[in-house]
Amino acid sequence: MIRVNNLCKTVVTGGQQLDILKGISFEIKAGESVAIVGASGAGKSTLLGLLAGLDNASSGEIYLHDENISLMNEDERASLRARHVGFVFQSFQLLPGLTALENVMLPLELAGHRSPAAAAQVFLDKVGLKDRGAHYPRVLSGGEQQRVALARAFAVEPDILFADEPTGNLDEHTGQRIVDLLFELNSQSKTTLVLVTHEAGLAHRCERILVMHDGQLSEEPVSASTTL
Amino acid sequence: MIVRGIRHLMRAWRGGELGLLGFSLALAVAIVTGIAGFSDRLSRNMEQQSHHFLAADRVLKTARTVPDEWIAEAKKRDLRTAVVASFRSMVYAGDAMQLASIKAVTDGYPLIGELGVSDVLFGMPQARTTGPQPGEMWLDSRLYALLNLQIGDTAAVGDKEFTAGRALISEPDQGGMNDMLAPRGMINYADLAATDVVQPGSLVTYRYLFAGTEQQLESYEVWLRPRLEDGQRWQGVRDGQPAMATTIKRAEGYLLLAASLGVALAGAAIALAARRYGERNTDNVAIMKALGASRKQVLIHYGTQLGLLCIGAIVVGGMGGQGLQWALFTSLKELLTVDVPGASWRPFMVGAVTAFGCTAVFAMPPVFRLSKVSPMRVLRRAGDDESAGLLVSALTGIGGIGLLMWWYSEDLLLSSAVLAAALVIGVLASVLVLYLISFARRVLINRSGSALRLALAAMYRRRFGNAFQVASFALSLMALTCLGLLRTSLLEDWQLQLPTDAPNHFLINIQPSEITPLSSFFDEHKLKDAGLFPMVRGRLTHIDQQKVSEIKDVDAESGSINRELNLSWAKDLPDDNQLLSGLWWSEIESENTDKIPVSIESELAEKLHIKLGTELEFNIGGQLLSAKVTSIRSLDWASMRPNFYFIFPPSTLDNYAGSYITSFYLPADQKALLGELLRQFPTFTLIEIDAVIQQMTLVVGQVSSAIGLVLILVVFCALLVGIANVQASLDSRLQENAILRTLGASKKLMISGLMIEFAAVGLLAGLLAAAGSNVALLGLQYWVLDMDVVFHGMVFIIAPLIGVVTMCLLAWISCRKLVNKPPLVVLRQTL
Repeated sequence: MIRVNNLCKTVVTGGQQLDILKGISFEIKAGESVAIVGASGAGKSTLLGLLAGLDNASSGEIYLHDENISLMNEDERASLRARHVGFVFQSFQLLPGLTALENVMLPLELAGHRSPAAAAQVFLDKVGLKDRGAHYPRVLSGGEQQRVALARAFAVEPDILFADEPTGNLDEHTGQRIVDLLFELNSQSKTTLVLVTHEAGLAHRCERILVMHDGQLSEEPVSASTTL
Repeated sequence: MIVRGIRHLMRAWRGGELGLLGFSLALAVAIVTGIAGFSDRLSRNMEQQSHHFLAADRVLKTARTVPDEWIAEAKKRDLRTAVVASFRSMVYAGDAMQLASIKAVTDGYPLIGELGVSDVLFGMPQARTTGPQPGEMWLDSRLYALLNLQIGDTAAVGDKEFTAGRALISEPDQGGMNDMLAPRGMINYADLAATDVVQPGSLVTYRYLFAGTEQQLESYEVWLRPRLEDGQRWQGVRDGQPAMATTIKRAEGYLLLAASLGVALAGAAIALAARRYGERNTDNVAIMKALGASRKQVLIHYGTQLGLLCIGAIVVGGMGGQGLQWALFTSLKELLTVDVPGASWRPFMVGAVTAFGCTAVFAMPPVFRLSKVSPMRVLRRAGDDESAGLLVSALTGIGGIGLLMWWYSEDLLLSSAVLAAALVIGVLASVLVLYLISFARRVLINRSGSALRLALAAMYRRRFGNAFQVASFALSLMALTCLGLLRTSLLEDWQLQLPTDAPNHFLINIQPSEITPLSSFFDEHKLKDAGLFPMVRGRLTHIDQQKVSEIKDVDAESGSINRELNLSWAKDLPDDNQLLSGLWWSEIESENTDKIPVSIESELAEKLHIKLGTELEFNIGGQLLSAKVTSIRSLDWASMRPNFYFIFPPSTLDNYAGSYITSFYLPADQKALLGELLRQFPTFTLIEIDAVIQQMTLVVGQVSSAIGLVLILVVFCALLVGIANVQASLDSRLQENAILRTLGASKKLMISGLMIEFAAVGLLAGLLAAAGSNVALLGLQYWVLDMDVVFHGMVFIIAPLIGVVTMCLLAWISCRKLVNKPPLVVLRQTL
């Protein structure tokens, strides 16, 4: 499902060259759930962004759904995302001007879904926000906002779901419920899940754990204890 | 797609981002449609009024009657026609007789405008749309006095006797000086033959009047032009009355200038609002892209929103513009003596094109930038480089404003002058502000109190935004000051030309022996005269030994060569004349001149291609006089003082029969004095200018009122730019203030900091506006409005004051909630 060969990302900040990713290679199979862990600044989010085609790599190849996204332009990558990719963010990233329902409808509309409103409502029901569809993000709690984000991510029935610190802005209890929901939806839809987190508990609910350290990636057995 | 677009637009509108943009756009359309419609209708109204001075739309002036075929052709084109024959003749009443200027008019006269008649001598005029009936003669009140006639008595012209029906007080086309040299008698054209005074060789001027639509008139003109012979003149409104034509041209220039400035200001407001719209949607686009939206989809999404917003703005703004026009014309109702012509489609088109143009030029660049937003933003907010896009959109914006102004004013010079001034002030403002902020931060940051430090830090953080803010506010202030100054100078110009006691009567044909008794008469009745000027009537016959009538390239329209001119002599250059080239008598006396020196008026010199040294020959009552041009003067015809095309040195005209001319001011309530004056000096020719002055004052009044109203519109525009400016920085201010308050800053400190920041922006903008408007005005006065160039120092105090007060008020109104909002609410929203 995802194949990465010798991926490098270098940025220039303040006149200095900074190697964020130093030749990473790995593979994720369809239906797998994978956690990418590591300290702050280790390059986790950069890697996630590259995997989702949000940014260009300096060198190396990324195959998503057997397509080499390193050779695609921005619009081709966007089209690939619209067809195959879902997203969940730490800061929810709901559009403040749209209601909960409209936020969920947005990716469906982008994918050309015939009845986006009905489909969106189904997923709002699934995340337990049946009656909150007309509410704007600003009147929803953090947990509710992230539920909307989950509904939005799963509404397009993606092959791959990228989650960036999905519980990072939530309290432990709410975070736990969101994680439960995430894995429940994931198992229902057989989606490949790639999530970035620094929470050990969350990482251990995944089938595989990849550890980022100083721009390098290593795999860690799920049973092993992780110091993050 | 449209339905979906409307749905998206509704969503975005509910989100609040589009409000300011939509409002700016609608207001721009309203102002543009309003000003365009207003100036369009006002200038048509002014033109209509000036048609009154011709009593028609077009006039064919000729010394002979024209073939009947010509009139038939005009009638075939549905033109209304009338004929006026003017000549001098004696009017007899009993034993008395008086030379009068007789006007024989057909039934249609006047085609445009009204005659003013009264049943009482020197009485209040009543409007009439037709002339006297056959057998009736209307006489000037003065003529009644001179002939010792009463209304209803009998008077004769040539062989025909008339009933003296009414006193003729005013005629729409009484402007020409020649008409006024003798008192008027008006008869019906049908009686002309019966008088038997018009014989072959008689000096008669025929004026054929035409009225109809512009199209009919133009098609007739195309037919007529090739048939015109030498000495036959086809006159339009602008050829009829030089003074009025200048006024109308000036008014048109002024209204177009206001419209151009309105467009520029509206453009700035839209650009600011669109920038904010773009900024506020950056995150949304990043999310949309992360969710799989392509660039094209983003462009279509936002393009459709803007397109629909634009259409909405055209509808709402168009209606607003109509309301604005209505308000403007309602307030001008008292001044508009002619019905205001109906609204035309052009202002709506101007409004629509402006809306689409502004959207394309100002609102689309941020949307194009939006489509380039990196989806990586959803993970890391780090920056999309906006600087390159900013330059492109700034250039597009400037180009767009220029094109709109050009298209709008149809005047490349005017729009270039305004745009160039705007650009110069924009660049200057930006550079100056950036330098000043950096300088102040370096020098003052450690020496000042916290409020000032806070303000300085805030200004430095937003230095590029502040530079733009100062530049745009300076621009709007400059527009205001320009309009204000121009209004002042227009009015001053006119008031200088027409002081309340401007001479309103001319006396001609004063014999040297009558000078002393006349002075006593003036003294006795406390009347002020403009001085006595000698005058000899003569005709210019040769220029450099060539007959004037044979000179091909001489401007045939120049009436001065076809009629007798008033020649004068003077020792000194008259007060309101200016020597443009050559020398006055005192400086050339020493030279050995074989020819009499003469000074010529500059515009006539230009028309007749006369230069210094050109030899001229005059025919004065059959005697010839040769002279050589030694100086060229400019003079002010509107000063209402006796003015002369040709002035000779003293004593050079002694051999020719001459008389004196003077002008004086007579208040309206002393009109009866005229009868006494004419009884005492029966040979004087009296010309009443006050009616002409009244008409001119009316037009000036209209212009200045229009200016006042347009000024208010521009104030609205400037305020809108200011609000958009503040709005643009509101988000970042909200967050900064929340953080500062969380860190313990007091409300008072925050408000002081805010006020200092905005006051500084207002002050700088004001100073720049004062400098810029002076520069722009000098250019406009010199090249466009054809006025004297004046420097305005007071603006350097007034403009900064307006800037500071307005900006502080604006800061208080729009930022108060910013300070009052609980920081927790703000921070929770932005997390």
